[in-house]
Amino acid sequence: MTDTVNYTESVERRALRAAVADLGARYGQRYFLDKARTGGKTTELWAEAGKLGYLGVAVPEEFGGGGGGIGDLAAVCEELAATGCPLLLMVVSPAICATVIARFGTDEQKQRWLPGFAEGTTTMAFAITEPDAGSNAHELATSVRRDGTDWVLNGGKYYISGVDEADAVLVVARHVDENGQRLLPSLMIVPTDAPGFTFQPIEMDIVSPEKQFTCFFDDVRLPSDALVGAPDAGLAQIFAGLNPERIMAASFSTGMARFALDKATAYARTRSVWGTPIGAHQGIAHPLAQCAMQLELARLMTQKAAALYDAGQDKAAGEAANIAKYAAAEACAATVDQAIQVHGGNGIASEYGLGALLTASRVSRIAPVSREMILNFVAQHTLKLPRSY
Amino acid sequence: MNIVVLVKQVPDTWSERKLTDADHTLDRESADAVLDEINERAVEEALKLQEAHGGEVTVLAMGPDRATEAIRKALSMGADKAIHVSDAALHGSDVLATAKVLAKAIGTVEGVDLVIAGNEATDGRAGAIPAILAELLGLPQVTQVRKVEIDGTTVKAERETEEGVAFLEATLPAVVSVTEKINEPRYPSFKGIMAAKKKKVDTLSVADLGLDPAEVGLTGAWSSVLEAAPKPPRSAGQRVEDDGNGGAQIAEYLVGQKLI
Ligand SMILES: Cc1cc2nc3c(=O)[nH]c(=O)nc-3n(C[C@H](O)[C@H](O)[C@H](O)COP(=O)(O)OP(=O)(O)OC[C@H]3O[C@@H](n4cnc5c(N)ncnc54)[C@H](O)[C@@H]3O)c2cc1C
Repeated sequence: MTDTVNYTESVERRALRAAVADLGARYGQRYFLDKARTGGKTTELWAEAGKLGYLGVAVPEEFGGGGGGIGDLAAVCEELAATGCPLLLMVVSPAICATVIARFGTDEQKQRWLPGFAEGTTTMAFAITEPDAGSNAHELATSVRRDGTDWVLNGGKYYISGVDEADAVLVVARHVDENGQRLLPSLMIVPTDAPGFTFQPIEMDIVSPEKQFTCFFDDVRLPSDALVGAPDAGLAQIFAGLNPERIMAASFSTGMARFALDKATAYARTRSVWGTPIGAHQGIAHPLAQCAMQLELARLMTQKAAALYDAGQDKAAGEAANIAKYAAAEACAATVDQAIQVHGGNGIASEYGLGALLTASRVSRIAPVSREMILNFVAQHTLKLPRSY
Repeated sequence: MNIVVLVKQVPDTWSERKLTDADHTLDRESADAVLDEINERAVEEALKLQEAHGGEVTVLAMGPDRATEAIRKALSMGADKAIHVSDAALHGSDVLATAKVLAKAIGTVEGVDLVIAGNEATDGRAGAIPAILAELLGLPQVTQVRKVEIDGTTVKAERETEEGVAFLEATLPAVVSVTEKINEPRYPSFKGIMAAKKKKVDTLSVADLGLDPAEVGLTGAWSSVLEAAPKPPRSAGQRVEDDGNGGAQIAEYLVGQKLI
């Protein structure tokens, strides 16, 4: 080992990017938006990417996966988004759920779930957010109690993505003892057809095939092996799955930003209003250059976070993943906004596919962790400033 | 079924392609290099035949060092091994020299039943290599086909032309060239990408093939380029404003061009 930093990705990572970009380009934004607007799902793209092993790149080889890292999975997510096909469930299913099960699951749980993640035939949603516990995971009310060898789950979640497409939901719930005392949280695998589990779509103004849901758990009885990992592992184990989530959310955003920036620069090179292409005006060129720089910085930080995570440095990866997620969200929101501006009226026309990104590009400032909570994290953990809440 | 697939790295067709000022050969540095799309189809066809009949698929490329990228892509699609003929002496080789080199390189593979090539490369566009190669190897040539089947020791193929479809047959071993109608190439899977780096690539020089460097390259070429100029930009064309007799003006123009 040398202590030099490698700023170029491996030949394999680049080949993976090229292959995924080719696949995504064959589908393209038209396909994605058509699905979103007609209530369809990106089933064909998901299935094809799964079959080629792109969704299972990070699943261990012994379970049929690619044996790669979160950096590979993030590359897949980014490249698809850059072709206009951002797959939101990549952020949850293979990144959080498969990672948590691969790291903390029992042998039986791994055998049961990982081969499906490897091929993309299994989808699992992830549910932590609650109406009274959004940014504050310490206030979770959803509870799980022992009943003989079974578990019984009660409570509710909201803004949970893709429940209608999922085989199961990985639910964060707190143990309660006989006296109703709330204890540490755990991760429970809840099949979407489990009796007592119901869910309803929330109407959202995002143009995306993926929907968000309110979930209700009324005495949902689960077998003993529904719990992933040690019952007393607490938040630490959950956060292990949230670092990949942040890295993926960042890649989702940088991919979307690349898509918007490509469109904006192509337009600025050709659209001519005063006899020269509008890209010749610094009022158009400089903001695009700023977007390009912001985007490249965010990509660099995302790659760093992924490299740290894949090197097993969870703590350093946590900080880097938060910074990457923040930077990518800001780059994405700024780039989509600027791309619309560059297009003038066309920026809002459906044909140009940019207006459709407006809400989606802002989501990354809110979910999976808000901009403010990342600023809190950096203030408190990096800068050692006092906590205000 | 042992199959050799000829693959070539070419400048991306989307990029601007140029000739160098020094010797009017293709400027390979100024454009992104990719595996020629027609070769992806050739590799795909070889892999399909292998799936049906077994055997090994060897990819063969002649080209500078960076042609390894094109070779890797073919290996990541699933080919078993590769031969890379790379030698500074090959710079500027014409189709005759190229075919000679490829024929020698094919000779290093044991028990070849089929050689598959694309019908023409997107850069040189001579489209003559498969035919010359078949002559040099003394093998039947089944060129420009949109469908290939193996039946025992016979290769059956369909060649589509403007006049109709020809049904061709030849006895193996044979040389086949395919058109873009042949198939849709697969995407390399992640496992294929990871496996590619472990596959064997033999790098051979002109001397390794027992050829004299003077026979190949610019010096060995049967023709030489004296001068080259970029295509002039398309002129603006003639605009017809319709103030009542637009139709007549267009007809006049077409008559003037002897088009009607
Ligand atoms: C499209 C979409 C998909 C989602 N998918 C999922 C999913 O699949 N699974 C899941 O579990 N959740 C999901 N979520 C929920 C998401 O993670 C939450 O919306 C997010 O964590 C914020 O929580 P909240 O909405 O309750 O906001 P709140 O916690 O109510 O926060 C409201 C505002 O106050 C700010 N704020 C809160 N506390 C502080 C503080 N201490 N200091 C400064 N500012 C503060 C926040 O930053 C925010 O701006 C999704 C959300 C969206 C929009």
